[in-house]
Amino acid sequence: MSEAPPARGNPPPGRLPPGPTCQVDFSRPLDFTFLGRGVRGFAGDTVASALFGAGVRTFGRSLKYHRPRGLYSMEGESSNTFMAIDGVPNECAETTALRAGMSVRAQNVRGDPRTDFFGLIDPFDRLMPAGFYYRLFHRPYGFWPLFQNGLRRMAGTGVLDPQRDHVRDGLRAERYMNAEVAIVGGGAAGMSTALAAAESGLRVCLFERRPWLGGHLAWRVRDFEGQPLYRRAEALARRLRAAENVKVFTNSPVTGVWGENLVTGFTIGAEDDPFRECHWECRAKTVVVAAGCMDRPLVFNHNDRPGVMQAGAAWRLARTHAVRPGWAAVFSVADDLSLEAAVDLADLGVEVRGVADAREAGRQDPAVVAALEERGIPLLPGWAVSRAMGRRRVRACELRPLDGGGSSHFQCDLLVANGGMQPRIGVLASAKAKLSYCTHTHTYQPAELPPGVFAAGSMTGLRDPRSIEASGRLAGCRAADLAGGAASARRTDTARRDADALPGPVAGCDIRHGPGIGRGAKAFVDLDEDGTYKNVKESAAQGFDVPELAKRFGGFGLGPGQYRVTGQNLAMIMADLRGDPVETATPTTVRPPLAPPSLATLAGPGHDVHKRTPLHAEQAAQGAVFRRAGPWQRARYFSDDVTCRAEIRNVRNNVGILDSSPLGKFRIFGPDALNALQRVYISDMRKTRPGRCKYSAMCNDMGHLLDDGVIVEEGDNDYYFTTSSGRAGATVEWFRFHTRHDGWDYNLVNLTDVLGSLNIAGPNARKVLQRVTADDVSNEAFRYMACRRITVGDGVRARCLRLGFVGELSYELHVPSSYSRYLWDLLMEAGDDLGIQPFGLEAQYCLRAEKGHIIIGAESEARVTLTDIGMGWMWDRHDTASKKVGAPALRACEKQPGRMKLVGFRVDEGQGTPRDGALVVDGAEIVGYVCTTRRSEALGWQYGMALVRDGNAANGATLSLQEEQKPGERATFSATVTSPHFYDPKGTRLRA
Amino acid sequence: MTFRLTCPVCGKRDIYEFTFGGQERGPRPEQEGLSAEEHFRWTQFRMIPCEPQEEWWYHAQGCGVWFRSTRDPGTNLEVEGAADE
Ligand SMILES: [Zn+2]
Repeated sequence: MSEAPPARGNPPPGRLPPGPTCQVDFSRPLDFTFLGRGVRGFAGDTVASALFGAGVRTFGRSLKYHRPRGLYSMEGESSNTFMAIDGVPNECAETTALRAGMSVRAQNVRGDPRTDFFGLIDPFDRLMPAGFYYRLFHRPYGFWPLFQNGLRRMAGTGVLDPQRDHVRDGLRAERYMNAEVAIVGGGAAGMSTALAAAESGLRVCLFERRPWLGGHLAWRVRDFEGQPLYRRAEALARRLRAAENVKVFTNSPVTGVWGENLVTGFTIGAEDDPFRECHWECRAKTVVVAAGCMDRPLVFNHNDRPGVMQAGAAWRLARTHAVRPGWAAVFSVADDLSLEAAVDLADLGVEVRGVADAREAGRQDPAVVAALEERGIPLLPGWAVSRAMGRRRVRACELRPLDGGGSSHFQCDLLVANGGMQPRIGVLASAKAKLSYCTHTHTYQPAELPPGVFAAGSMTGLRDPRSIEASGRLAGCRAADLAGGAASARRTDTARRDADALPGPVAGCDIRHGPGIGRGAKAFVDLDEDGTYKNVKESAAQGFDVPELAKRFGGFGLGPGQYRVTGQNLAMIMADLRGDPVETATPTTVRPPLAPPSLATLAGPGHDVHKRTPLHAEQAAQGAVFRRAGPWQRARYFSDDVTCRAEIRNVRNNVGILDSSPLGKFRIFGPDALNALQRVYISDMRKTRPGRCKYSAMCNDMGHLLDDGVIVEEGDNDYYFTTSSGRAGATVEWFRFHTRHDGWDYNLVNLTDVLGSLNIAGPNARKVLQRVTADDVSNEAFRYMACRRITVGDGVRARCLRLGFVGELSYELHVPSSYSRYLWDLLMEAGDDLGIQPFGLEAQYCLRAEKGHIIIGAESEARVTLTDIGMGWMWDRHDTASKKVGAPALRACEKQPGRMKLVGFRVDEGQGTPRDGALVVDGAEIVGYVCTTRRSEALGWQYGMALVRDGNAANGATLSLQEEQKPGERATFSATVTSPHFYDPKGTRLRA
Repeated sequence: MTFRLTCPVCGKRDIYEFTFGGQERGPRPEQEGLSAEEHFRWTQFRMIPCEPQEEWWYHAQGCGVWFRSTRDPGTNLEVEGAADE
């Protein structure tokens, strides 16, 4: 909070003159629409304060009974004022800052919330007892979808627009911080904590959910020690802003405190912030929770009527937003702060007709009692409200003594009700503090705090501003000492003595509910889920008589208000119903997030973080269409034709060039390099020879196929090997994991990004290569599966591997990434008259599939072993000494019946075209699925590979393929099992 | 759930930087004469104690070392001093 803002602008009719604590600037009007009609609010308004100021009283309809609901807490404690703002559902109008041009709509209503059609449901509540979802509509089960649809339409909580790009709508940011002391709450206690902790030179972060500092002092004008309370808060805030090592975050609700004191939350962007919402995490050595208090809702008949409000809400409407909360008010409260609110509202021109205080006479602060008397406001100690009257909003109420006796009626349009104050225990609970019921304050208090977590301020039951500040100072000293600040035992001792000398926690009130509860009227324990006192009784009668069970049965505390509105009341009422003493009452578990960030914020800023190969620009210039493949953007097509006929034809007939840079490339060397290879590769790796590529595979401990690639011996215990692109990132981890107990001495270097890779493939590949190198690359000098170091162009040294993945004569050239572009240009130029053209991943996919070369993940899946896929030949089954990863599993399941096998198939002529993923069926049984199927120009027919149960995998067997090509239309195809080596089965083209 | 681990190379770092390698279950069993039952017991079976256990962690977003850590799954926290051994 800055200096008290001067009265700014002239308020319109319906708004109060702005006082010294007003946050609204009436000189800055903000126009928006509500249900399509124009409404004017002002800078500093929330959506709810602007609507209330413009006369709106009914903000929405309740979930189950469609009862009208109004502004209740000004803190977003219930879903009463959840609205759709600019098409985003469930925005909390009470806390959402108003912006010009907003479009605000009510939720859960047909049309205007004042006259909602479904409001007719309310009188028929007997049809919906607690747990009705589970008990009523599930029998007969077949009717459930019918009921479900009807219920979903009636019991909505907003509609999400699936077309809208919620992530990119408004920038979402992230921030990660470290601090020695993190403070939750920017009231007097939190600020005092920060100032004390800052003295020791530590990094301090303070998080405050409201847009300003000061807590409840920020709107209190009562004189204390010669100055109004808000001035006291301002003085603290000024000192705080001057402290260099304190970082203050306003508009920043905390969502939870996690292991090792990680504080998470989010910051709602202000007008001048570059983000709409920012998720943050603060790793803190210590956490001080000074989250303050909120009104404990009072459960009484019709306590949900618009016009029934928490004391804090009515007070802040008037003092913070200069909105008149009502003309004639009745209070039914149970603590001195709420009595002060009654006095203050009276001073602001609200006619306070009566104040019931659930505490007996003599327990009130005499100064406030005198102030009420002075203003002629009748105080009724030992009384509480028994019901609110009026159908669409409060018109009157009935007060009764708690110990029985006659009632008193009051006409009013504002009914301020609470059962005293309850601490905001959510943050402590999420930090795993043990909470227990305190019979002095009648609140939940921390009985045991986790290491490095402290509690301070009014949440511990303190009310005297000096006590609150002293408790903050003490917590700040203790946190700083623990976090390794310039420790000063004397400072901490002084802080403790100061705090002890001041007034301690104030006695609270244990009122459970208003007098005469029930009797045909609804008294809500949970506003979000429409959970009534009667529902709690029903739940208890069914045996669900502890809050955790009642929560599941009746939905109490499941809504956005969570434990805050419902928690303590539900626990106390349940204890009563069981006949147990109140201190046995245990509230339901607090679940994070304690405040709801938008899902778009959690989804993140939506940056597409990817890698580009060194040849990205060259391929883009050739018309490449890029697609994401793992971390890479890779060229998928080089034309609009997604079947890539031209690219495929050119490789088969001339020569194509492919950027294969994402291929995993590694060097392993050192005394135990061979041992490591023997461990993770399934073949006998002693059989590698210098200058030769050995093809092998890796399995996991279950024998499932994980990766394949080639290994070249380059020296004694010095190897170069490739992995599939998808495994490049995991290979080092894999090697080191499976050799972690052996203490082997080897070095493994990931060269994937260091080296670029280019393939030239096709009958003309050798001609192209020979034109760029002086080395002999003839078939005699450079055989299939050989690996040579050659010099290309102006002296670039390249590893050249003669492989045949696509089924044609081909060479793979690995050069330092920085030479990739040079090599690309060189080859393109050399092959120009030979018809060299780039090809992409889809063409490569088809070319290798025609050849029957598998891609792991396409022709295999998590259940498929090396032997299932027909590659058992590479397994060195006699080697037990190397303890090969996967070997024992392969031994166990090699001959297991009923396993899936990889087969090739040819789709019989004269049918349609099945697609990847089509099912293989045998009668009514699914026996496999199609991995890949394409129509081949070279073959002239539709080929494919499928994983099918071994019983259906025999060569020549007929496969029945089934696929839903259009919704509801099942197409069937017949195919014949063949060898998957469709194209050039003898491999003469590779060796040419 | 969040906690930190002490990498022997990099020191105390956030859990997000590590990948889990499972409980320490001793070196790979000898494969000569190993029955399928024994093999699958070693690869698949785990006791889940609610007391400190020795685990393998990989500093994936850091230095890339596999290391043992003693951690209590009951509190999620690393057991103090274990990393100094
Ligand atoms: Zn590390």
